[in-house]
Amino acid sequence: MKSGKIMSTLFFLLIILIPLDLFLIFKVAPTEKIMGDVQRIFYLHVPLAFSAYLGFAGVFFSSILFLWRKNMFWDTAAYTSAEVGVLFSTLVLITGSFWARPVWNVWWTWDPRLITMLILWFIFIGYFLLRKGISDQFKKARYSAVLGIVGVIDIPVVRLATKWWRSIHPRLSREGGSLDPLMVKIFLFSLLTFLSFTVFLVFFRFRVARVEERVTSLMKRLED
Amino acid sequence: MSFLANAFSITSKDIRLEFRGKESLSLMLFLSLLLLVIFNFALDIDRDNISLLAPGILWVIFAFSGILGMGRTSMAERDEEAYLSIVFSPASAESFYLGKVLSNLLFLIIMESFTIIFFAVLFDFERIIGSLLELVPSLILGTVGFSLIGTLFSFLSTTSKYGEVLLPFLYLPVVVPILLGGVSSMDIVLNETVGEGTGKWHQIMIAFDILYFSLSLLLFKYLIEE
Repeated sequence: MKSGKIMSTLFFLLIILIPLDLFLIFKVAPTEKIMGDVQRIFYLHVPLAFSAYLGFAGVFFSSILFLWRKNMFWDTAAYTSAEVGVLFSTLVLITGSFWARPVWNVWWTWDPRLITMLILWFIFIGYFLLRKGISDQFKKARYSAVLGIVGVIDIPVVRLATKWWRSIHPRLSREGGSLDPLMVKIFLFSLLTFLSFTVFLVFFRFRVARVEERVTSLMKRLED
Repeated sequence: MSFLANAFSITSKDIRLEFRGKESLSLMLFLSLLLLVIFNFALDIDRDNISLLAPGILWVIFAFSGILGMGRTSMAERDEEAYLSIVFSPASAESFYLGKVLSNLLFLIIMESFTIIFFAVLFDFERIIGSLLELVPSLILGTVGFSLIGTLFSFLSTTSKYGEVLLPFLYLPVVVPILLGGVSSMDIVLNETVGEGTGKWHQIMIAFDILYFSLSLLLFKYLIEE
């Protein structure tokens, strides 16, 4: 299937999925006993985190493929995934903060999951600073691919180190079974919606980036 | 020439350069001393809290002075594109990387040793010298990690138009596990935390070092090929 076809299919699917997801989250999902309505952020916050990780996984694999194949196609795939990853990780940090204030009584706490997401965010802000500072396209691609790989590999180590340091983050416990089955279903639906949205955004941004690159190269040829 | 011999010749070149120009090491040492003075004003350090504050102060200084030094040693290669002579020589990129890691490691160890001595003298904290034997493993493991990442990233950042300024933005987030390991193990040793051993922190630093050593060996060639 061509990327255009995937995009239009995803687009029409998302027109249905997103409003339905919002309806399920705000109207159908049961209100949590202790946290109340604020717990509904969970249906957005956790899928956003998965989406961010999906974006960064995209950077990782595209960067490896770029260094292997030396094809600028993979560089475009890497930095567009990085953009989507940064967007979603920013949203994860913001929604997490909104949730933490009423529940933990703080805007921010030094919990492993929070720190890991923040470190990832910093690494990929650095990724864009690096890209901005190099004018040669191929060099830019090579250097940012190295940073993309190193940055993503760092995540499990950061996670482990901060976990040993301290942890208070709520977990979806298997033994406790504290989550209502309807809540789980809605959560999974929301996750599916967000992951499809992420794939759509990466495809969309990728196509725009390819057009941008083509325009730049045409302009250069005109100047020459 | 073998792989290791190539690496050592790069290291010895850097040491000779340092003896002649005295550029990176002296800057690192001055910054360490200056930061100690600044920390003295910023934090109210006294006999009661010094052992609690020491790990944080020292590892922050190691990180920042290290950035300055490693940025300088890789700028020396970028100046007038000196590194190109190595690219065109039969020596491999990996041996070049290893050579730079070893020289950076040496300069970092010298800087850290002096910083610890300055710290002991300025804050009357001789106990840190007494605990040095217990601190050495985490210092070595942490410094190796700093040098592995610092060497790789200083080559990344010096290519950009922002130059060395970019290095802390790339380097500091990635070395968080090393900082956590270094600070935590020093804290355990100095404050004799009951029931806590430095073992697990050493493990995480060893894992970090092995991971980044192998990764850098794979990736460094992409930074110097033209």
